[in-house]
Amino acid sequence: MIANRTVTLLTSVLLGVAGCGGGGGSSEPPPPPPPPPVTKVEAFQLLNQATFGATESESLSVIAMRQERWIDDQMAKPVSEQLPHMLSLPPPQFMGQLHTDRVDIWFRNSLWGEDQLRQRVAFALSEITVVSQLGALQGRPFAVADYYDMLARNAFGNYRDLIGEVTLHPAMGVYLSMLGNRAPNLALNIRPDENYARELMQLFSIGLVELNIDGTDALDGNNQPVPTYDQEIIEGFAHVFTGWTWRGSPSFGSGRVPTSSQYFPMEHWPAFHDTGEKTLLRGTVLSAGQTGEQDLNDALDNIFDHPNVGPFMAIRLIQRLTTSNPSPGYVRRVAEVFNNNGSGVRGDLGAVVKAILLDPEASPAMAMEIDGKVKEPLLRLTQLFKAYDASSASGRYPLVASYILFGQGPLQSPSVFNFFSPFFAPAGEIRDSSLVAPELEIATEYLNTQYTNYMFFQAFGLNHTNEDLDEDDIFIDFQEEMDVATDIGALIDMVADKLLGGDISDTLRTEIAGMLERIPETDAALRAAETIYFVTTSPEYAYQR
Amino acid sequence: MKTLNRRDFLRTSGAAALFAATPGLAYSQVVGGGGSFTDYRALVCVFMFGGNDSYNMLVPNTNPEYAAYATSRQNLALLQADLLPISPASSGTPDYGLHPAMGGIQSLFQNGNAAFVTNVGPLVEPTNKAQYFDRSVILPPQLFSHNDQQDQWTSLRGNVPSKTGWAGRMADLIRDGVAGQQMATNASLFGANLFQSADETVAYVMGPNGPIQYQGFSTTPGDILNEQRLAFGRVVDAQHDTIYERGFAEVQRRAIDAADTVSTAIANAPVINTAFPQSQLGAQLRTVARLIAVRDELQMQRQVFFVATGGFDSHDNQNQNQPGLLGGISEAISAFHAATAELQIADSVTTFTQSDFGRTLTSNGDGTDHAWAGNQLVVGGAVNGGDLYGSYPLLEIGGPEDVGGGRIIPSTSADQYAATLAQWFGIPNVDLDAVAPNLANFAQRDLGFMIV
Repeated sequence: MIANRTVTLLTSVLLGVAGCGGGGGSSEPPPPPPPPPVTKVEAFQLLNQATFGATESESLSVIAMRQERWIDDQMAKPVSEQLPHMLSLPPPQFMGQLHTDRVDIWFRNSLWGEDQLRQRVAFALSEITVVSQLGALQGRPFAVADYYDMLARNAFGNYRDLIGEVTLHPAMGVYLSMLGNRAPNLALNIRPDENYARELMQLFSIGLVELNIDGTDALDGNNQPVPTYDQEIIEGFAHVFTGWTWRGSPSFGSGRVPTSSQYFPMEHWPAFHDTGEKTLLRGTVLSAGQTGEQDLNDALDNIFDHPNVGPFMAIRLIQRLTTSNPSPGYVRRVAEVFNNNGSGVRGDLGAVVKAILLDPEASPAMAMEIDGKVKEPLLRLTQLFKAYDASSASGRYPLVASYILFGQGPLQSPSVFNFFSPFFAPAGEIRDSSLVAPELEIATEYLNTQYTNYMFFQAFGLNHTNEDLDEDDIFIDFQEEMDVATDIGALIDMVADKLLGGDISDTLRTEIAGMLERIPETDAALRAAETIYFVTTSPEYAYQR
Repeated sequence: MKTLNRRDFLRTSGAAALFAATPGLAYSQVVGGGGSFTDYRALVCVFMFGGNDSYNMLVPNTNPEYAAYATSRQNLALLQADLLPISPASSGTPDYGLHPAMGGIQSLFQNGNAAFVTNVGPLVEPTNKAQYFDRSVILPPQLFSHNDQQDQWTSLRGNVPSKTGWAGRMADLIRDGVAGQQMATNASLFGANLFQSADETVAYVMGPNGPIQYQGFSTTPGDILNEQRLAFGRVVDAQHDTIYERGFAEVQRRAIDAADTVSTAIANAPVINTAFPQSQLGAQLRTVARLIAVRDELQMQRQVFFVATGGFDSHDNQNQNQPGLLGGISEAISAFHAATAELQIADSVTTFTQSDFGRTLTSNGDGTDHAWAGNQLVVGGAVNGGDLYGSYPLLEIGGPEDVGGGRIIPSTSADQYAATLAQWFGIPNVDLDAVAPNLANFAQRDLGFMIV
C-alpha cells in the first residue's frame, strides 16, 4: 500500500491531476519565505483531523495561534471524563440505561469538551485498543466508561503506560478474557487462555509481520514476510497473563463484585499465576519463579521494545487522524519520533500525535488524489452537531443506537477488529492501486443510505423550527441560515463556510442552487434544511482533507 | 431515539404542498435478455464469526471415540446421553450425535436434507503432523488468527495475496450468462466481505431486512422530489478529485440504482408462512427467503447470499453460551429450509456454513482457543443428505492429527468444500480451479455431498 504511493504521486504529477503544472527541477531552491498566514481552509483541515469537527470559531483560534501553538494549547487542557458523570446519575430505570448515559456523556465531551484533541486521540485509540459495549461488557457500563477515560488520560502519555493500563483494565480483562485466566491444570487438559496474548500482539502493538521503520514489510531472503511470533510465543504470553481478576473479588474470576471493581485495575492472585518459564518475543525467556507482576512488567517491556511498535502505531494513528495511505517517509518520520521524542524517550504519544499533525504530508501544499481519508460517519455527524449547536431540550444526546444508524458508535465495535480493517480496499481503482480506504468498509449501500436518510431527518425535521420535538430529540439550529435564505448565494456560502471551510465544489453549489430556486423564498427553513442536507450527504463532506 | 417519519416532516417543515406525496416507484421495466442458465440456483453462506467449536456440534457417539473426546474435552465435553443421535447413511448406525440444542438439524439430517463435511479447513496441500512440524509443506499463513483464517475460508488464497473471494470469482465467471439479472449475483445481508469481492462484479450490500430506500426521492416527473433525486445523483456522479470521494460516490450510485428496484420487488413478495426465529440470523434468512420468492420478477438465475452471526469466539463461558449459539444456527437454518420448501424451491437452494476455524480440544478453564479444522453443515434439497463427508478425526490430545493443545489438522480442504458447491452452482469443471486455486493439490475434486 505504501510503496505504491510514489508511483501514484508521479502519475498525478505527470498527468497534471494535482492541478499544479510542471516547471520544477531548477537548480537552487529559494530561501523559504516567512510562513504565510494560516488560511481558513488550512484551519479547517487541522480541526477535522484533530477535533470532532471544524467550526468557524475554532478556526479563528488556529489562525491566530498557528497550528503548533494550537496543538500545544490543546494538549495542556484537562481531561473531560465520563465516569464522574456516570457515578452522579440516579439508579437506572431500565436495563441498558447506563450505556445510553455513557453514549450521552461521550457526545457531550466530544462535542463540547475543551480538550478536543485529547478526546479525538482517545477516540482513535478506542479504535486500536478496542473494547466494546456489545458482548461481554453489556452489563459493565462503568468499566466501559472508565476504559475510555483511561485512553483519554493516556492520549499524550507514554505508550508503555498505556498498554500497562489497557492490560490491567477490567474492561479489557472481560472483553478479551484475561480476567480469570489461570495457571494450567494438565490433568484436566486446561491451559491458559490465549485471547489477550494474541490480540495484544496482532492488533495493539506489533502486528503479524516484521516491519521496517517506514512501515513496509521487512522481507526475508526469499522476499517473504517474516512472522513476528508463533504459537509458542502466544502460549508464553498466555502464561504470563494468568492470575488476574476483579479488584475485591470474593473468589478468583467470578462472584459478585462491587461496582467500583469496574473502574479499578485488576488485582493479582498469586495462587492462580503460572510460575514456569515463558518464551516471549525475539528469544527472550522469562525465568521460572517470577511473581505475576514481574512477569507482566517484563512481558510488556518485551513488547514495548519490539522495533515494530513505532511504525505499527504510526500507521494506525496516521490512518485514524490524517490519511489512509501515508508514504513510507511519513511513517518513518512519525515512527522515529515514537522511538525517540528528541529527549531520548521512547513511546511519547504526545510527541507522536504532534508529529502526525504537523507533518507536511498532513497538509500538503499540493494535494494529491490519495491524500486525506474518508471521514468516519460518526465524525460527519459530530461535525454537523458542532457546526449547528446541536442540542436537545433535556440536554442529553442519547444516541445509543449510533452503531446501528451509522455503523459506528463510541465503544460499540462488533469485535476487537474495530468497525473496519486498516487494510480494507474496495474493488476498483483503490484496490487496483494497492491502496486502502478503511472507512469505506462501513460505507456500504445499506449504511450510506441509512446515513443519508438520517441527515434528511436531521435537516428537515430535527431542527430548531420544529415545535413537536421530544425532550431527547437532538436538533440543529439554522436560524442564521434562515436569516439569509432569500439570497441563495449567501445561504450556500454560509453553509459551505460552516461545513466545508468555504471550499465547495462547483457541482454541489450549482445543484443546491437549482433546488433552492424551486423552493419559495418565503420558506426559509426549507431552504436552509435543503442546503444542509445536500452538503452533509455529499462525497466532498464525506472526505477529510 | 424517536425516528421522525415522513408525515411528521411534512407537518413540521410547513412544506406539505411542495413535497407532494411520493407514490411507490413502479417496478422498473425488466430488461430482456436471458442467460445461458435455464434454471435457478442459490447458495446461502451462513458465516459463524469468531470460530465455531464444531467438535461440540458433531460428536462421536461410539465408545472408544466418545471416550477420547470426553478425555480431551474434560469440563467442556457434552454428556453422551445428551447427544442427539444421528445415523449416517454410510454406516447405518447412530455413531454420531449432535449438540442437544440442534434438534432441527437432527431432523433435517435424518430426512436426508442435511449433511456434514467433517474435519475440513484451509490447506494449501495435503498436510500431516510430521509435515506440519518440519515445514515440508506450504501452510496457510497466520493459522489460528481470526481475520487471516476468515480470509482463508472466504478467499481460499493459500499463501499468495488475493483480494477476491470465491463467491466473487464465481460471479465473475458466470456474469455473461446472467446479464439479465436485475440484482448483482452476490448479495450480502451482513456488510462488506471478502467472500463476495471480485474483479469484475460488485456485491450488493443490504440490511438484515433488505434494502432501504432514500427518503425524499421520487421518480414522478415534475415532482420536486424527483428533481431532488436527480440533483443528488448529479452530485454523486460529478468528477471527484480524490480516490476517497470516488470510492464513496460509487457506493452511493449503486445504492440509488438498486434500492428502488429491489425494495419494490421485495415489498411485493408473497407471504411466507414459515415462522423464523427472532434473531439477527433469523431476520437475515427471512429476507433471503423473500428475495428468492421474487427471483423471477428480478430475473435472477444465480445468487449467492452472505448472512452471518457472531459470538462464536468462546474463550469464556462456553458451556453457558454454546446452547444458544448452536441452537440459534439450528433454528434459523431449519426455518429457512422450511421456507424454501414452502416456496417449492428447496431443491435449488443450498445453505452451507463457514467459520474462522475450529477450536482447541483443550480447555482454558471455561472456554476454548483458536484452532484449525472443524465440521461444516450443508442443508438443502439438492444435498446428498443424511451422511458425513470426509474423515472424522480421533479427538485425542497429542494424537496423530493434533498439532498441539487439540488443534486438529484438516483432512479435507476448504478448496474441496467450495469446489463441490461451485460445481453444483454451475461452474464448469474446467473453471473450478479459478474458484478454488489449490484444488489441484487434492485428489478429490468433488466431495460428493451435492446431487449433480
